[in-house]
Amino acid sequence: MRALLVVVAACAGLLLAVGQARAHHAFAAEFDVTKPVTLKGSLVKWEMVNPHSWFHVAVKEPDGTVTEWLIEGGSPNQLIRMGVTKNTVSIGTELTIEGYRAKDGGLKAVGRNFVLADGSRLFLGGSAPGATGGDKK
Amino acid sequence: MMGNRFLSRVTVVAIVAWVAVAMTLVTAQTPGYKAPRAPDGKPNLNGIWQAINTANWDIEAHSAAPSPVLELGAAGAVPGGLGVVEGGPLPYRPEALAKRNENRANRLKLDPEVKCYLPGVPRASYMGFPFQIIQSQKHVMLVHEYAGAVRTVYMTDQVEAPADSWMGWSNGRWEGESLVVDTKGFNDLSWFDRAGNFHSDALHVVERFTARSADTLNYEVTVEDPKVFTRPWKMSMPLYRRVEPNAQILEFRCVEFVEDLLYGHLRKQPSQ
Amino acid sequence: MNSRSLVSVGAVVLGVAVLSANIAGQAPAPAAKAAPAAKPPAAKAYTPPKTPDGQPDLQGFWTNSTYVPFERPQGVTKEFYTPDEAEAAIKAAAAREAEQTEPGTAADVHYDFSQFGLDRSQSKFAYSLRTSLVVDPPDGKVPPVNAQGQKRAAERAAARKLAGGPYDAVQNMAIGSRCIIMGGSGPPMMNAGYNANYQIVQSPGYVMILTEMIHDVRVIPLDNRAQPPQDVRQWIGLSRGRWEGNTLVVETTNFNGKNAFRGASENMKVTERFTRVADDVIDYKFTIEDPATWDRAWTADAPLARTEGPIFEFACHETNYGIANILAGARAEEKQKAERAKKGSN
Repeated sequence: MRALLVVVAACAGLLLAVGQARAHHAFAAEFDVTKPVTLKGSLVKWEMVNPHSWFHVAVKEPDGTVTEWLIEGGSPNQLIRMGVTKNTVSIGTELTIEGYRAKDGGLKAVGRNFVLADGSRLFLGGSAPGATGGDKK
Repeated sequence: MMGNRFLSRVTVVAIVAWVAVAMTLVTAQTPGYKAPRAPDGKPNLNGIWQAINTANWDIEAHSAAPSPVLELGAAGAVPGGLGVVEGGPLPYRPEALAKRNENRANRLKLDPEVKCYLPGVPRASYMGFPFQIIQSQKHVMLVHEYAGAVRTVYMTDQVEAPADSWMGWSNGRWEGESLVVDTKGFNDLSWFDRAGNFHSDALHVVERFTARSADTLNYEVTVEDPKVFTRPWKMSMPLYRRVEPNAQILEFRCVEFVEDLLYGHLRKQPSQ
Repeated sequence: MNSRSLVSVGAVVLGVAVLSANIAGQAPAPAAKAAPAAKPPAAKAYTPPKTPDGQPDLQGFWTNSTYVPFERPQGVTKEFYTPDEAEAAIKAAAAREAEQTEPGTAADVHYDFSQFGLDRSQSKFAYSLRTSLVVDPPDGKVPPVNAQGQKRAAERAAARKLAGGPYDAVQNMAIGSRCIIMGGSGPPMMNAGYNANYQIVQSPGYVMILTEMIHDVRVIPLDNRAQPPQDVRQWIGLSRGRWEGNTLVVETTNFNGKNAFRGASENMKVTERFTRVADDVIDYKFTIEDPATWDRAWTADAPLARTEGPIFEFACHETNYGIANILAGARAEEKQKAERAKKGSN
């Protein structure tokens, strides 16, 4: 039993993938941990690009004006393997995005969570393509 | 009687001469040339190929011109070219022509090649860099030296482009001796050359690669883009095999070469 | 871990279990339920299909995503886990990946990998009972760096210090963040963390390996051509290959030294061996030789498991908006700091 615990414990620290570790570091430099944002808006365009995809979202401010935000998401490549295409997320889709604002002060943020109008997370849960099931927050 | 025979002989000679001239005007094959077969029985187009022309400077007919960069002098000047576009100037829509001219006037700032961006299709085929065709039954790969650009041509299990990309999404088939590559799913960010000729994301390119001799291919391209051009148009050129025994695609990993150009203005300046 | 990847684990187990046994080079031991069986029984030898020109067929889409650590963890002395131990380690790692981060922490300032299918457990990975990818030296650890290598490391550290802060200039940032090259390309080809995929296509006289990130292609000639001149140096070096029976042996030299693999010098030589040992497994071994860094050669075994395509274009530099954002953000922070200091001194 003890050997097994040692195995599990030892593995844990070493199993953080290299790519993920690097990405964490750079993101904390790009976006401000002290500036969390929650944005409600509709999708103008999902740029399915690498190394990170970008969601262009029209956000309605309290005073009625509309600003366009750029929200950083993940590489689309695995989603594409799971059947996602440029037609999967329609223009106009209502999204609530929790994230952190860019340090350079622009209308940019990293999206921690992308939530659809029905409360499910984008690409996860229910009948969405690439659904891995059961990951509702 | 003699007059008729003389006239018919002249006619025959004239026809033969006309055919000979016509054959030099198009990139004619050695009549009936067929490439050796690849192990799976298809024409063997494997090899390292390169265009020898000025298409990357300007796909239309153009005169020699000075370098846009003063310090390069003659080393950066533009060689003249008879053009690879068939049938004269490109059939731009009027507003698109204005954009092309604006591109051209600002090309150092706007040409994606300057930024080491992926070159798109068909520009990748006629940049001053070689590319390698690696042919298998399911996939034909086009591996470019410039910026490590690569194209996968799906010969089976063909689907539509899932999303837009720089090099497009290619489905291929054999038509007799020709490899026909049908490509869509382009973004609108690449150019056709350094002269500002451009396209939209509606670009649709069909290429035909046909062996014309042991060491040359005919490369014929039909370009369709209703958002930019009033009709489809065609370009063609030979591609030449790199025959030296140690020929290989090398690295042209140009990102490093453009970082100061792109990001130099964001460098931390030494404090006063 | 979801059912999809449990299936993929199951699909790969048999092939790689066979693989493990073959690497050990020992006579197959019968599966005994009573005794703890570290190595599963060997199946009969596998003959790979051939390409039309007679090469053993390595073609297809492959992944080197794995839960096996590169070096053997502290406190682990054996070479192989039991299947139960390996399963438990994988489950624990997968659970850790799926964990939600704490809001307001640096780790939370990132998109959620699992939302984009980028957690290891959300796609195929190469299953192995090994406790480390390093198989030689037998303790599963890379040999210590020798004096010459340590001196070079100190020089590199000094140069980095001279260059200033990590965001003073793009050249101070990680090579992968700059979209120049990532760890999956190698050689040797390492687990990239996600999108850890390869496409292999063969034609007469060549094996082509496309690495997903960053659309990196190695075209390996098989014609016994001369070694390249010393003055041509590349990020991925220059490779020459040959078939030894069913094993593709690739030797690579001529590295440019800018992306030192674990501190190696530009004169590192990498020898890779690719052997298809099952329909859905390629045994991939690499040996590193670099007397300027290690006093002995060392070897790792990192199998490739068959996976699904396609590999969508990973154009990286073209849309690498993060670089400008990060540099601009750093400059903005410096400006704010300077303004605050000015106000403070007034």
